[in-house]
Amino acid sequence: MSLPVVVPAPGVPGPRTTSPARVGALDSARVSRAVVHAASVRVDVAILVVTADGDGARIRWANTGVERLLGYAAADLVGTTVEALFPRPPLGGTGALLRRERSVTLELLARDRTGSLVELAVVTTPSTEGGVWTVSAQHARSDAERALADSAAAHERRFTTLTQRSPMPTLLSEQGLRLAHVNDAFCRLTGRQAEELLGTGWLASVHPDDVDAVVGLAAEVLEGGSGDIRARLLCGPDDERSTLIRFSHLHTPDLGSGFVATVEDVTERLAFEAQLAHQATHDPLTGLPNRARLSTYVAERFLPGTRDGLGCLFLDIDDFKVVNDSLGHAAGDQLLVQVARRLRAAVRPTDLVVRFGGDEFVVVCEDVDEDDVVALGRRISVELARPVQLGGVGVNVRVSVGVTVQTPAHLTADELVRDCDIAMYQAKADGKGRVSVLDQASREEARDKLRLVADLRAAIDGGQLTLAYQPVVAAATLVPVGLEALARWTHPTRGAVGPDVFVPLAEESGLVDALGSYVLEEACRQIAAWDAELGVAAPRTVNVNVSALQLDEHLPSLVATTLSRHGVGAERICLEVTESALMRNADQARAVLDQLRELGVTIAVDDFGTGYSSLAQLRRLPVDRLKIDRSFVAELSEGHPEITGAIVALAAGLGLDSVAEGVEDVAQVRALVELGATHLQGFGIARPMTGAAATAWFAERAR
Amino acid sequence: MTAPLVASDDVVLDDDEVAEPEDGVDDVLLPGATFDAHAVLASIDTMAAQRPVAAQIVALTHADDAGAKDLSRLLAADAALTGRVLKLANSAYYGLRGRVSSLQFAVTVVGFATVRSMATVALTSTDQMTLPAEHWTTSTHLALACSTLAPRMGHRAADALCMGLLAQLGAALLHHHDPQGYGELTAAHRSAVDRREAEVERYGVHAVELTAAAMRQWGFPSTMVAPLDQLHDPTSVDGGLLRGAFEVTERLVVKGHRPVPIHRLTCDRVREVDVVPVLTQVRTEAADLRRALEG
Repeated sequence: MSLPVVVPAPGVPGPRTTSPARVGALDSARVSRAVVHAASVRVDVAILVVTADGDGARIRWANTGVERLLGYAAADLVGTTVEALFPRPPLGGTGALLRRERSVTLELLARDRTGSLVELAVVTTPSTEGGVWTVSAQHARSDAERALADSAAAHERRFTTLTQRSPMPTLLSEQGLRLAHVNDAFCRLTGRQAEELLGTGWLASVHPDDVDAVVGLAAEVLEGGSGDIRARLLCGPDDERSTLIRFSHLHTPDLGSGFVATVEDVTERLAFEAQLAHQATHDPLTGLPNRARLSTYVAERFLPGTRDGLGCLFLDIDDFKVVNDSLGHAAGDQLLVQVARRLRAAVRPTDLVVRFGGDEFVVVCEDVDEDDVVALGRRISVELARPVQLGGVGVNVRVSVGVTVQTPAHLTADELVRDCDIAMYQAKADGKGRVSVLDQASREEARDKLRLVADLRAAIDGGQLTLAYQPVVAAATLVPVGLEALARWTHPTRGAVGPDVFVPLAEESGLVDALGSYVLEEACRQIAAWDAELGVAAPRTVNVNVSALQLDEHLPSLVATTLSRHGVGAERICLEVTESALMRNADQARAVLDQLRELGVTIAVDDFGTGYSSLAQLRRLPVDRLKIDRSFVAELSEGHPEITGAIVALAAGLGLDSVAEGVEDVAQVRALVELGATHLQGFGIARPMTGAAATAWFAERAR
Repeated sequence: MTAPLVASDDVVLDDDEVAEPEDGVDDVLLPGATFDAHAVLASIDTMAAQRPVAAQIVALTHADDAGAKDLSRLLAADAALTGRVLKLANSAYYGLRGRVSSLQFAVTVVGFATVRSMATVALTSTDQMTLPAEHWTTSTHLALACSTLAPRMGHRAADALCMGLLAQLGAALLHHHDPQGYGELTAAHRSAVDRREAEVERYGVHAVELTAAAMRQWGFPSTMVAPLDQLHDPTSVDGGLLRGAFEVTERLVVKGHRPVPIHRLTCDRVREVDVVPVLTQVRTEAADLRRALEG
């Protein structure tokens, strides 16, 4: 910072002579004056020339810079002592400031024109002439530095204000892990005072098992960057909180590297997530793991191709519905809780007990063979057989247990569970209250059924099912009045599969809606085709069978949209519902049938006489005809017309048509006509036929 | 900007001139004192020649002069000082639990100001310079007390640590200058206040003033020197920081010390109830810091 100022010797002659010897001196003097001028007009730095003699150190010359820096006119300072300008010289006095052999750099307080003290950076440089120094002075910090420092201080104040009352616990370290600042939120979180937390005190609030990881991450952040860590904080003797600490690097010039960290208390969030996870995998009633947990548990332990590793028991409470129906659902729930408790007590601590759904439970064991699992199944049966008190009533619980042990034939974990489900059904079929091990035949049968379900689904989707049509005629005239549509499935490898096989299969496997829609769709399409081809000679009605499972609030809209799509009138469709389907939930059935009747379709009760109809219900149900089951019609040939006669009379009494099914010969026709049946259907009248054959059949009869 | 470290006691103005200052100027040692402050300060410059690396670091007055990389490269040439900085960075004070393995990281963590202070301390602990009894104990306690009290007194803990660490520099110089006399003085006067009075009586200046002079000469920032300068100004909060730190130190290390109410020393910034955790913290960290500083 020292300036190359040359102080001119007193009495330097002016440029008046021109002798060569004096030319050099003249130039030198010019340059010297120029230098002095340059120094005198500088305003960014105050420059003084100081001499020391017996009278002390005094200022002999000053530049314009002193005015700007301290407010003095340059001339005012000349003659003043150095001590007056710098009232607090360094230890050692003015002598320490003005050294002959070297320059001195110091920060000193100077008194300005108003008497205030100003902090200056001062450099004293001895001249080559003894007793003379150049002193340069400027603000200890440049304007930019001061602005920067002020701005930094303002930033710090803002930061402090911002964090102090922020609800987010915040830490500020300026050096290593030493905190220079913590906010109120962090004090509240840890239950400690700021004084205890500052420095490295906060580390005592980190759970001892987490300290290493926290220090490790913070050390990484000190070298730059940022990072998050999950750590537990101790917040009192018995309270610890789970937190997420987010560190960001912070460098403070001169001080070193530190960090800013925010602490998010995630205790409640984690607890909530854990609760959700528990709910997702556990049954709320019994507290047992649920089916979702079973899948992951078995999948985690299932090693394909091994034997005797995993054992699985599938339990179903026999006659649970009786408990529910007779003692109420609350008692049913109590029973399930009791069963769950006894199951847990009966198995090994390492075994998994799952509530599979409803009254079904599954137990999974590891490192067992078939004998072990069967023994466990028996033990459980005995344990559960002890009477359970439900609302003052002792109930004996019996369970059917299916057992499977893993074999190399099990390719997936799901197959293992499914096999023991099958074994349980086998146990039930064999007479309930049994423990049954899945045998090979049952296994094959079940697998075969599964394949057939898959094929049925493909057949429905691919339109491979066909409809056959069997004519229905008026009994008195034998004039055809309509047809019954009958679904037919020709399996590509098994050949014809009867509706007695595939309809129950569709009902068990959730395909019944698809099947029902398909049949209705196809029937309407055929009616439209007959109308186009035969005109008035087309069949007036087509009977379509409806499964009990279809009999819900969706059916009326399905019928309405299908009819409308094909432009077929509702009076052309007669829906056939079995007697047992109607009685299963009579109120709902009645509501659905009412809506269908409003559309204009007619309703026939199929297989009448084989179910358990309540005659009172029958009277209230909106039906149009009763179809007399073929077994009663067959009895006519054996001389027993009683039941058929009674049904015909009942239908007539209720104002309904009666349709005799399975009519095979002329004698039966005569008998039925005599009894008063209104319509006839059967091989004796006409066999079921394709749509095209039916077209011809009706065309012929129209002539 | 660099501070002068070239040894020279060649002062232009003679003692007479200094002894007769202009009116209102309070810059001389007590009349009749045998102590020559210039010579004492200059002796540090002499010692600098034996610790050239430390001297070079002390001469850097701003962190801008050297980044952590340059500073660690420079520091590496002084094995003893390198060891101390590494030990310090790994000490309990910074809480990093031995995770600092590179010198550059150590310098990054402790910061330039601390490295510079350690270099300054190193200058006064050469083979040629014996230290007064209890020097390290007092220095480490003072440093930690300053650092711990700093937030309440409006100071940065890091600056305060350096200031506390260096505060006993003057005592080391007095001891070096007059080993026997200073030894007797410290043995006779256990309390800091008494000791300072005795120092003024014997040398015309007390050790903390001498420290302030030395720090100023090396261009330490005025914010760091202010607590030393204003130690005797009861209205000065800056001075209060050091007074409070001396009190904490004496409570911990001087047997039979009669506690002075801390609020009186600290302009009511610190209450007795606040001192309890400070004492605990200083007591816990002092031995560790001492191991780092003694090398």
